[in-house]
Amino acid sequence: MSAAVSARGLVKRFGALTALRGIDLDVERGGALAVLGRNGAGKSTLLRVLSGLARPSAGEVSIEGLPQRGGAARRVLGFVGHATMLYAELTARENLVFTGRLLGVDDPGERADHLLEEDGLTEVAHRRVGGLSRGTCQRVAIARALVHDPQVVLLDEPFTGLDRRSADRLGARLGRLRTEGRTLVLVTHEIPQVPQLAESAVVLEAGRIVHSASAPDLDPRALEHWVLGEGERAS
Amino acid sequence: MGAVLAVLLVIYAWAVTNAPTDAVQGVIQKILYVHPPLAYGAYLGFVVTAIGGSLYLWRGREEYDRLAIAGAEVGVIFCTLMLVTGPIWAKGTWGRWWSWDPRLTLTLLIWFVYLAYILLRSFSEGGERTARFAAVYGLVGVLLIPLNYYVIDLFEARSIHPENLERGSLGEGMGWPFVVGNVTLFVAFLYLVLRRWEIENLRARWARTTDDGESLGEEGR
Amino acid sequence: MSIVWAILRKDLVTEWRRRDRVAAMLVFSLLVVVVFHFALPNRATDQAPAGAPGLLWLAYVFAALLGLNRAFALELENDALSALALAPGDRGWVFLGKAASSFALIGVVQAVTAAAFALVFEIDLIAAAPRLAGVVALGTLGICSVGTLFSAMAIRTRFREVLLPILLLPALFPILAGAVRGTAAALAGTPIPFEAIQLLIVVDGIYLIVSFLGFEYVLDE
Repeated sequence: MSAAVSARGLVKRFGALTALRGIDLDVERGGALAVLGRNGAGKSTLLRVLSGLARPSAGEVSIEGLPQRGGAARRVLGFVGHATMLYAELTARENLVFTGRLLGVDDPGERADHLLEEDGLTEVAHRRVGGLSRGTCQRVAIARALVHDPQVVLLDEPFTGLDRRSADRLGARLGRLRTEGRTLVLVTHEIPQVPQLAESAVVLEAGRIVHSASAPDLDPRALEHWVLGEGERAS
Repeated sequence: MGAVLAVLLVIYAWAVTNAPTDAVQGVIQKILYVHPPLAYGAYLGFVVTAIGGSLYLWRGREEYDRLAIAGAEVGVIFCTLMLVTGPIWAKGTWGRWWSWDPRLTLTLLIWFVYLAYILLRSFSEGGERTARFAAVYGLVGVLLIPLNYYVIDLFEARSIHPENLERGSLGEGMGWPFVVGNVTLFVAFLYLVLRRWEIENLRARWARTTDDGESLGEEGR
Repeated sequence: MSIVWAILRKDLVTEWRRRDRVAAMLVFSLLVVVVFHFALPNRATDQAPAGAPGLLWLAYVFAALLGLNRAFALELENDALSALALAPGDRGWVFLGKAASSFALIGVVQAVTAAAFALVFEIDLIAAAPRLAGVVALGTLGICSVGTLFSAMAIRTRFREVLLPILLLPALFPILAGAVRGTAAALAGTPIPFEAIQLLIVVDGIYLIVSFLGFEYVLDE
């Protein structure tokens, strides 16, 4: 199996609401997939189902060939959610060390120091996360997702709430993740940046994939049309 | 099944009316034909809930969760009726409404677990997570029946409830109305559970067909 | 196992820096002790009230409810609960970690409450301490196990603070039955009845196993 992330027939219902209505997708190892769509299209739900945080009502997910059911896939997976998933009372380093212990990393302290240095966060390492800016928190949150050196990283709207400088820095960070050979799946509204961030994209609408494209045919304007629900006319 | 139940109910009513009136207790004794048979429903309701819940956790099919709802709701009705008829009988024979009698205490505790189960369901957003929560709680609830029984057996005073109604302990002519009562209320329990289950299944199907797919929420919290 | 340690350590460090959970529980349970004094007026001041063990456990249960409610509220702040749910392997270990930290924090509150209780009601705590600690630890273990399981469910519903007591109290009956009897013996300076210990161990064992297994189903969306 060569796909790093593979989903078959994903359906997710919340009571009477159906958020996903049969999603199939494959992301190649080392590839990057952008998930686009309007609010409420099912993007976050898709990502949470892929991560194993939400159980699919039907369908299967496998990460690096490991089934998500039963939790085996959680070991090779990093997740950056809407929220930072950090503890405000702990310092940046303590947060990383805690996550390392949770994920069974051999030397969590060393790994935390390494990540903090790599991301230029050494000077905030011993400050409590509660007092850090949104941009810095987001960088710590990404470092947190990388503590166990996962092959696959899922990111849910990582650019939200970041100023230009932080966003550029995050873009560069994501580029580095890809050159390290990791597979990325990211939900984003930054359609103009999609060609730099990813080599394929899917557009969700009402829980279905209505359009998919991959490089070199990743045209932000065409994607924008699909997201706005004008796809048919544009193409 | 409805027809069978209807016939049984007629026979039941006739049998109870025509059963001899107890020499000591008087008319109040006729609760005998109602009160003990209710116990089937009260206890079996939770067993149905636990079975439905475990099947749901195991297989993930929503029908099983709906069976669990049916068991709890019908069970709570039987349990409530038991808690209502018991004190009436007790006032008539033992002279007081409530005694912390072991079986009474046990039934009261089960009743609270039923209520907690139903509140848990109605306080959560519905859907799969609610079903999982309810299944887990239902399992703890059914474990509480033998556990509480064990506690009561260990510590509490001897029961003033009549010991198991072994053959011959009932007065002349009271035996067969009692048997009819047991059969009828057992059938009534099964019938209500099945109908309740059916209603829940229909409701779910209706909800699905009317979901036009436009009003989708993304937040999965 | 490393997950259990990591969560326990994290919770204790976090609590040390915030101190709000233990403080709230402590103030609350001390208040309960004082309220008892006013609720039991005409007693002889030189001896413990007859219901002392039960009163002590009421204070413990109320404090535990407060602490258990906070245990997961803390994890929801930045959706850190998702990070726990993403830990590899069986989620039962996450349960054990959370239960262990609640156990430790509630234990601190219980010790201080017992001291205050002994002062106010003139109980010789030094003599009673070893036995009392054993009984209280066994009882609290059971409360923390199902309490952690139910708290993880209640936190995801509306009226979360209200739901936890409704879910938890019916399940505490077997624990309280054993713990109150054990505590009565400990306070009186007599050996603890074997039945009480036996009951607490059985219930703790069942609750730990059920909660460990059930936790798998309550963290997912």
